[in-house]
Amino acid sequence: MERSPARATARFVTLCILGLLISLPFVWMVSASFKPRREVEEARIVPREPTTRNYPIVLNQIPDPVTHKRLDMAFGRWYFNSLFVAVAVTFLQVLTSAMAAYAFARMIWNGRDTVFLLYIATMMVPGAVLMIPNFQMMVWLRFLNTYHGLLLPAAFSAFGTFLLRQFMLSISPALDEAATLDGASHWQIFWEIVLPLARPGLIALTIITFLGSYQSFFWPLVMLNDTQLYPMSVGMLALDSSYGRQTELIMAATVMNIVPLIAIFIVFQKFLVKGLQVGGVKG
Amino acid sequence: MADRRPKRLPLAAIGFLLPNLAGFLLFTLFPVLFSFWMAFTNWTPKPAVQFAYLGLRNFSDLLGMRPLDRPQPALLAAYLIVAVILLAGIVMTLWANMAQWRGTRIGGGTLMVLGAVMLANALVHRSGPVAEIAGALITLCGGATILSGKDAFRLGPGAVPALLLSAGVIGLACLNPIVWRIYEPRDQRFWQYAYNTGYLMLGIPFSIAGSLVLALLLSEDLPTGTGRTRILGALLCTGGGVLSLIALWGAGRPDMGLIVALVWTIAALGIVFNVVAFRTLFYVPTFTAGVALMILWKALYNPKSGPLSVGLASLFQLLHWHLETPQWLGSADWAKPSLIVMGIWTSIGGTNMLLYLAGLSNVPRELLDAARVDGAGGWNRFRHVIWPQLAPTTFFITIMAIIGGLQGGFEQARVMTAGGPAGSTTTLSYYIYNKAFQELDLGYAAAISWVLFAIVFIATALNWKFGRGLEVD
Repeated sequence: MERSPARATARFVTLCILGLLISLPFVWMVSASFKPRREVEEARIVPREPTTRNYPIVLNQIPDPVTHKRLDMAFGRWYFNSLFVAVAVTFLQVLTSAMAAYAFARMIWNGRDTVFLLYIATMMVPGAVLMIPNFQMMVWLRFLNTYHGLLLPAAFSAFGTFLLRQFMLSISPALDEAATLDGASHWQIFWEIVLPLARPGLIALTIITFLGSYQSFFWPLVMLNDTQLYPMSVGMLALDSSYGRQTELIMAATVMNIVPLIAIFIVFQKFLVKGLQVGGVKG
Repeated sequence: MADRRPKRLPLAAIGFLLPNLAGFLLFTLFPVLFSFWMAFTNWTPKPAVQFAYLGLRNFSDLLGMRPLDRPQPALLAAYLIVAVILLAGIVMTLWANMAQWRGTRIGGGTLMVLGAVMLANALVHRSGPVAEIAGALITLCGGATILSGKDAFRLGPGAVPALLLSAGVIGLACLNPIVWRIYEPRDQRFWQYAYNTGYLMLGIPFSIAGSLVLALLLSEDLPTGTGRTRILGALLCTGGGVLSLIALWGAGRPDMGLIVALVWTIAALGIVFNVVAFRTLFYVPTFTAGVALMILWKALYNPKSGPLSVGLASLFQLLHWHLETPQWLGSADWAKPSLIVMGIWTSIGGTNMLLYLAGLSNVPRELLDAARVDGAGGWNRFRHVIWPQLAPTTFFITIMAIIGGLQGGFEQARVMTAGGPAGSTTTLSYYIYNKAFQELDLGYAAAISWVLFAIVFIATALNWKFGRGLEVD
């Protein structure tokens, strides 16, 4: 704690100003989304004639006032796609990673450390190396333009296994021994002892995976050309390349993208901060 | 360990492992091997092209040189030797620094002189940012070597690496103009994009330093009082916000009113939730990072309608300066700095700040108190207590940032600039994407991706070997 109140005040004021600087782009984004088209290029934040019309235009509920046509965009569908894929990927990845981590951290078998070393080694390989052959495989499997093609390669992760293994190693082995003596099976030990104790790690991995999947861009971009399957990220790109000149519409779309995320973040920020710090120090 | 029935184990282990291992083999291990093989072929999904095994052709096309004139292998060999000497000099300098070889200070002095000469030469001849940055970097390395060396100015093996480095730089400076008159790189774009990738990584030190500053500002709770005083303070701030909004709006300055009210709101939140409020606010850009944020920044950087241009233009008008506002992403000079600024804004309050906060909370209080009792001021406490204690965190953050930076830049190139103008924002990862998915030349793209992997690997290994020297202080 500072000895002098003057220093504490200075720190507080600095933080407030930095907070303002960080939030200014968001302020402009919200402001632009409520402007009518003729005001967008003015250097004002508060619109003279604020309008909420940009939002229903982006959602295809009313036609564009200039072209009198509805936008050719499936905004709601993209929301659903993003959420669906992110939830599915997160569920699969956390489950498979936790099971594999259990096998690596709590079981003894021949070749365990060799296999684990292989896992770690592949973590260093850049994503770009994997994308190219994975794309070729998707072509062979005829998985292009499908949900499962979007899901499957992301559902298994060496990183998640590594992270959870580190967590599980820190749980006392005496617990398993006691449970084994009581006749518990591995599945019971895994499900009833190890998983509950590894909860911070599971939460961290869940948030990291969910966010990573929700924001993923490269893979859906190369996998999809059916606009109905686009996730939000690729959808935003499509919106921007078709209607990029209508800044107020783009900003309304951006607001609808970012504001839910901010809400999620504020609700879960405690878990996230803990998880990232633990994951970062251990990873 | 837990189980005393090792015979039953493999089967159960396979059960637990199988779902993950199957995915791992299919979507990670097999693709790695497949991609490595692709890099030696002309693999493409285009049906018209006959498959061919190319050996090392992709790699020589990527990294090799092409003679424009009569080829002179001796010159090329000399150039290669000079490059090897330069690399050896870099590695040995780091080594000598870490192991505190005798004579490192003399080596550092040599480097400083060399760097200063290079910098002066570059400035006089206007040879462009590459030469200037290189000169400045070498000067800085020399200075750091002198500062960190603990021995007096005595001759010793520590001077050797600096001499090697100097010989390499001078040799390169002499050979460069001759070699590039006779040869040209086979894939000029690769070298340009590698340069872009490195340039865009210049934001990393600023971002990390900024994260550290934010973490230091947030490391201790603000003395906002408890219970009633806190509520009172928050109410006062809210009241101040409402009043200034009304007053400024009434005076015809709604924008000013909104900004001031926003600051009051942040202050009120800061009083109620203390540092958590600021930590949350600073993390928002990282949490929302993605295509949407890039589209937002693209709009901010719009040279006609973007607020940066509009605001700057009205400022120029106010001051009667006859300056043009920059074209931001539309200009080859401004595009990279613009992207760097965006990157710093996105990452400064992000995961690095959280890691530094975690590191700061692990600094033993007794150490800080002891330093305070010994009369160490703020800077000395930071330099001699906090900074050494944070070294493992800094090390981790730096490695991750360098790995990320070398592989990065794809999204912003695809979303914001299409890699332009004139390829000035195309990074290696965007080049790989273009080769693979636009030109469908998967074999060549795989070769680039493996070269990128080699670069990442070498950078990480060097960091691993020498970055740890930071921890010894």
